[in-house]
Amino acid sequence: MGLMRIDLLSRRRLLQSASALVASTALPAWSRAQEAKGGGRLVVAADSEPKNLNPAIVASNGVFFIASKVVEPLAEASYTAPGGLAPRLATAWDGSVDGLSVTFRLRDGVKWHDGKDFTSADVAYSAMNVWKPLQNLGRVVFANLLAVDTPDPLTAVFRFSKPTPLQLIRNALPAVSSVIPKHVFEGTDIAKNPANLNLVGTGPFRFAEYRPGEYYRLTRNADYWGKDEPKLDEIIYRILPDRAGAAAALEAEEIHLAAFSAVPLSDLDRISKVPGIQVVTKGYEALTYQLVVEINHRRKELSDLKVRQAIAHAINRKFVIDTIFVGYATASTGPVPKNAPEFYDPEVASYPFDTRKANALLDEAGYPKGTDGVRFSLKLRPAPYFNETKQFGYYLRQALAAIGIEATLGNADAAAHQVAVYTDHDFDLAVGPPVFRGDPAISTTILVQSGLPSGVPFSNQGGYENKALDSVIAKAAETIDAEARTEFYRQFQKIVAADLPLINVAEWGFITVARDTVLNVPDNPRWAVSNWADTALRS
Amino acid sequence: MRPVRLIFGTTEGAIGAVLLSLLVLIALFAPVLSPGDPLDIAGPPLLHPFSMARLPLGTDSLGRDVLAGIIHGTRTSLTVGLAAAFAAIALGVCIGLAAGFSGGLVDEALMRVVDAFQILPGFLLALALVSVAGASLPVVVLAIALGAWAAPARLMRAQVLSIRERDYVAAARVTGMHPLEIAVKEILPNALPPVLTLAAVIVAAAILTESALSFLGLGDPNIVTWGTMIAEGRNVLRSAPFLSVLPGLALVVTVITVYLVGEGVTQALAEGKAGQVDRQGPTA
Repeated sequence: MGLMRIDLLSRRRLLQSASALVASTALPAWSRAQEAKGGGRLVVAADSEPKNLNPAIVASNGVFFIASKVVEPLAEASYTAPGGLAPRLATAWDGSVDGLSVTFRLRDGVKWHDGKDFTSADVAYSAMNVWKPLQNLGRVVFANLLAVDTPDPLTAVFRFSKPTPLQLIRNALPAVSSVIPKHVFEGTDIAKNPANLNLVGTGPFRFAEYRPGEYYRLTRNADYWGKDEPKLDEIIYRILPDRAGAAAALEAEEIHLAAFSAVPLSDLDRISKVPGIQVVTKGYEALTYQLVVEINHRRKELSDLKVRQAIAHAINRKFVIDTIFVGYATASTGPVPKNAPEFYDPEVASYPFDTRKANALLDEAGYPKGTDGVRFSLKLRPAPYFNETKQFGYYLRQALAAIGIEATLGNADAAAHQVAVYTDHDFDLAVGPPVFRGDPAISTTILVQSGLPSGVPFSNQGGYENKALDSVIAKAAETIDAEARTEFYRQFQKIVAADLPLINVAEWGFITVARDTVLNVPDNPRWAVSNWADTALRS
Repeated sequence: MRPVRLIFGTTEGAIGAVLLSLLVLIALFAPVLSPGDPLDIAGPPLLHPFSMARLPLGTDSLGRDVLAGIIHGTRTSLTVGLAAAFAAIALGVCIGLAAGFSGGLVDEALMRVVDAFQILPGFLLALALVSVAGASLPVVVLAIALGAWAAPARLMRAQVLSIRERDYVAAARVTGMHPLEIAVKEILPNALPPVLTLAAVIVAAAILTESALSFLGLGDPNIVTWGTMIAEGRNVLRSAPFLSVLPGLALVVTVITVYLVGEGVTQALAEGKAGQVDRQGPTA
């Protein structure tokens, strides 16, 4: 016991001097020389290795987690800045009264990692050649973008063919506006450019090295525009695909930080009591995931509102929150989460847990229980991306059994699940985790809007069609006035909660578990996918 | 009754047979021993064993009864094990018999197919098949059987090759018996016993393969399997190790039981054969 303690202490000291990791892992010994600076090396668990790491093309959290330190957006979400938006590459933004243009003032004196100057030409190139045609979210947000004018090197004017609300552009900026260098990408096949992996950006860290299956290494950008930033010398993303492995690595002090709930929720209670480890729930407010029951309205029974209401009443949200999410989630009332106060409307139809009422609704709808207690059977496909979506699938099967609906669970990997649900429509109910990205128009209205081609993931593929809802969505998309636009989204929430094109069950942010030597962990609502310029290690 | 007595004659066989009967009884009477759906949420989550009389082995992270899971898991494991072994041996015996009895080109062709299956690692084959065809119990059984039929086929062929040269087979041929009749009536019964001793090995391997597939998330999520229980317990391995340990123990006990029975059968067959030779000796 005594021996072990000495061993632990000496290991801890070693880690703080930032070189223990060199000894304890297979990493080479490149950074020993930087010890003296006191910046230190932050080692972080990463669970995936995206094939394309370019955040301008793939605007997803898995990519941002690594790439946001290298490639910066025009603005970043903030707890304190006015309007919840802090300047990054843009210092000011202004929309015209008619909603047909937005003018960005850009930051002066910013240099790309290869030494060239950052100018408005880079913003124009990124917007017209990447965000609008190639990016998953940019396709929606910049659908009506006509051109980007560059009257001078520090001004970019976005011109739209239809009125485009500044509110939407502002809310979308952190996720959709990663700027990439024109001089690196121009004239090449953008999708195949090597800079999609060996990123060139303006951010506080430079992309140094990637070893498949082992780690990504980012190093300090000494020429960063932020004063005295970044604080760290280096960030290592160690690939730890095994979720149970992240907790063990934290305890063994092999890594400093595991974000995105890499440590399973059910293990948090235990690990929070380990000395030297902190469990952080802040820093994901602008990345709210929603637990949603997707419904295939082509199925006769499910096209009946009473049946959908019965299913909504059959779900015990308290159980879902307390048991599946171990308390780290909130019950949903509708398609907009509570931590989007700008849009959230609590005055919507609600469905308290009531098995008797659910049974009565199903009887009314004309689906009586058979002699075996079963009314009808259906196919339930829980998305396999998260432990929680799978567990909710198990729970929902039992909850449905209690009201006489026999659900058969499907089992598929991520790729097969997406094809089955979003392309082949081979499901009756599915459990999905869509993301609310600060504005309903970015990735939320698409979940219920009709007329979308099949094959678009995380969109309405259940065959739901509601002209009234479609018209509210269309009007909101073109309303410039923020008040009026917000009012449309209140209506949107009321209609969705009343007509149940899908059932919103819970909403959750992720959890960060870190050694307590890591400082400034959650300093903005998108912390895990922000630039970490002021993250530091206590020495 | 003689084979049964012989199996009980060996220590391994006796222990194995008793344990196996117990497991079969548990599997058969699972709905009586633990009524209702074992996947139902039965109590508070992560209840440790022996803390509530109603749930003696505790509950998992959703509150499902661990004891119910283990009881109903016995059913899944034995069903998959027996069904896969039956399918593998049936297929292997047919192919082996056809190859050994026909000889020539048919033999060559069939044996190359057997080779092809034998060089494929059975688990990889099962993984590939289940991920393509979807995870349901029949698919899992088929996938395991496809990886296991080559060994019995080979053994069967070797037996047939030796038996078809025996005098009584030649005699049958001379009396004008149809070749198919010879194969089924004369050769099959005599060639079968050694192949059947493979059954235990295949059952045990099938149970393990099924658990491994479930552990990797390729099991049928609508039924309880030990592999799934172990995999789900892994998330809370540090705080609730019993969730993985208990189904793991069940798996170990079952596989050892099947091996013991197999050992008993092999020894019984060897002794039986020796007895037959003794009896035949003087009369011949």
